[in-house]
Amino acid sequence: MTVNITAAATPSVGTVPRGLVPAGVVLGGTLISLIGLTWDIQWHSDVGPDTFFTLPHLFLYAGSAISGLASLAVVLLTTANAKRDKAVDPLVGGRAVGVFGRTFSAPVGYLVSGIGAALFLVYGLWDQWWHGLYGFDAVIDSPPHIGLLLSISITMVGAVMVFAVARDQSWGTYGVAVAAGTLLAFSMVTVLGLSALPGGPVNTVNAGSAFFSVMILFMGAYVLNRRGGALAVGVVVAFLQALFWWFSPWATEVYADATGLPLRDYVDGIPGLPNMIPMSLLLVAVAVELLRGLPAWVAGALGGVIITALAPLQRMLTYGSNFPALQRYVATVVAGAVLGALAGMLGRRFGQMLRHLAPAKEDRHA
Amino acid sequence: MRKTLLALAGTAALLLGLTAPALAFEPVNVVHTEKVQAGPYDLTIGFSTWPVKAMQSLDFTFAPENGIEGKKGTLTLYREGVEADDSPLARHPRKREVWGLDIFALPEQGTWTMKFDVEGPEGTGTGELKNLAVMEQPGPPMGLSWAISTIPLFGLIALIVIAWRRTRATVD
Repeated sequence: MTVNITAAATPSVGTVPRGLVPAGVVLGGTLISLIGLTWDIQWHSDVGPDTFFTLPHLFLYAGSAISGLASLAVVLLTTANAKRDKAVDPLVGGRAVGVFGRTFSAPVGYLVSGIGAALFLVYGLWDQWWHGLYGFDAVIDSPPHIGLLLSISITMVGAVMVFAVARDQSWGTYGVAVAAGTLLAFSMVTVLGLSALPGGPVNTVNAGSAFFSVMILFMGAYVLNRRGGALAVGVVVAFLQALFWWFSPWATEVYADATGLPLRDYVDGIPGLPNMIPMSLLLVAVAVELLRGLPAWVAGALGGVIITALAPLQRMLTYGSNFPALQRYVATVVAGAVLGALAGMLGRRFGQMLRHLAPAKEDRHA
Repeated sequence: MRKTLLALAGTAALLLGLTAPALAFEPVNVVHTEKVQAGPYDLTIGFSTWPVKAMQSLDFTFAPENGIEGKKGTLTLYREGVEADDSPLARHPRKREVWGLDIFALPEQGTWTMKFDVEGPEGTGTGELKNLAVMEQPGPPMGLSWAISTIPLFGLIALIVIAWRRTRATVD
């Protein structure tokens, strides 16, 4: 059972633990971004016409705005408290760091999520300029789109950080699983940018999906440092995948009806974003849990192999695609093993680094 | 509370009010046409910008002389003689009386060919629009665009490196 130390110290807050509200708002913002992205991808594939103000776009803008404003509010409140020499609770977003000298005191988690939201604005302008030059293309992996996706990912990393700080409390534990799952699902779109890399016989997108999936699963497992951590992240991702499998085509059709636009001819009805998420992820999460006693690179390599080996089968199942050329398949699985091993080691280390964001238990009791 | 609700309702109304006219999608504006004879079918290929530049998206329209009713077909794209893409001829979403590709970009400069296989009441026919010159992409070189767009990634890596070094003593 967890003890809510800070809530007891500030009875005026009532039953809501300190730090939960801003962390929840930042996480809510990132989920709105993810909903906007899955909807937007489906809109382009099933309906098409684009403007700056489509509803899926508004979700994308609103997600970053909500996370950004919540982060800004926390930074300003922390700065005000620091200036008045009031104690700053490191449970809210982690230790405060000075920004612009000592002008602002920003809890490091909210600093990262806020920077992500600010970058989103900058890359929004870059994207507007790009569309002015190249037209309103529906290319998801254009450079400015990848810049926008990376900016949102940074906000999502900030969300993981603010929950990691409170990992000893139940809301922190669940928050880490949901925030890491959101980051993982979202990253499966960002990795499409890797198609611009020369990979030789390797399918760089599949290898990249394996790398980020394994890394984020390990990160979740090691930041929670308890049995079931990786599985919790895997279950969150599977839930989002199932939810969006239904939501994306449904919302697209409803919105098309509402705006009087027809669906394209030959729409295959297969949800775009959810199908980019490896269905084998739960299997990988179970493997990570079972191989906990072995070095991280072993389970990581196995995870990379599972994801890259099964990715073509998922596309055969959903799109009815052909099996890739054997040389390309083998090269990609080998790359998956190597990258998975590296991702396992990195994810483990990132999880341990995230644990350092929270003050040690002894300090808090002191 | 009432004021807050009113302010929220006002914001929502403003947003929707601004969104509704913004959703009026641009009509398809053909500025250049080419003719292709696909067996018994006369096809007019329309372009919404001309000349075509790599990566710059435009509307393509493919209009058989007597309309698309009762006809179907496939469009295959070749760049320098190598097949790049093929898809069934679908109605243009903003000009439903003809086939087309909406906001579509040819990704690379070079000489492209559009091959049409059409099937209809007068039988089947194949025709090609050859030597479609696609000019160099406008804007900065892709390397520079990618460098600008991946700054957040390198920022994140820098943050990780700092955190890694600061926690090295305690984690290792």
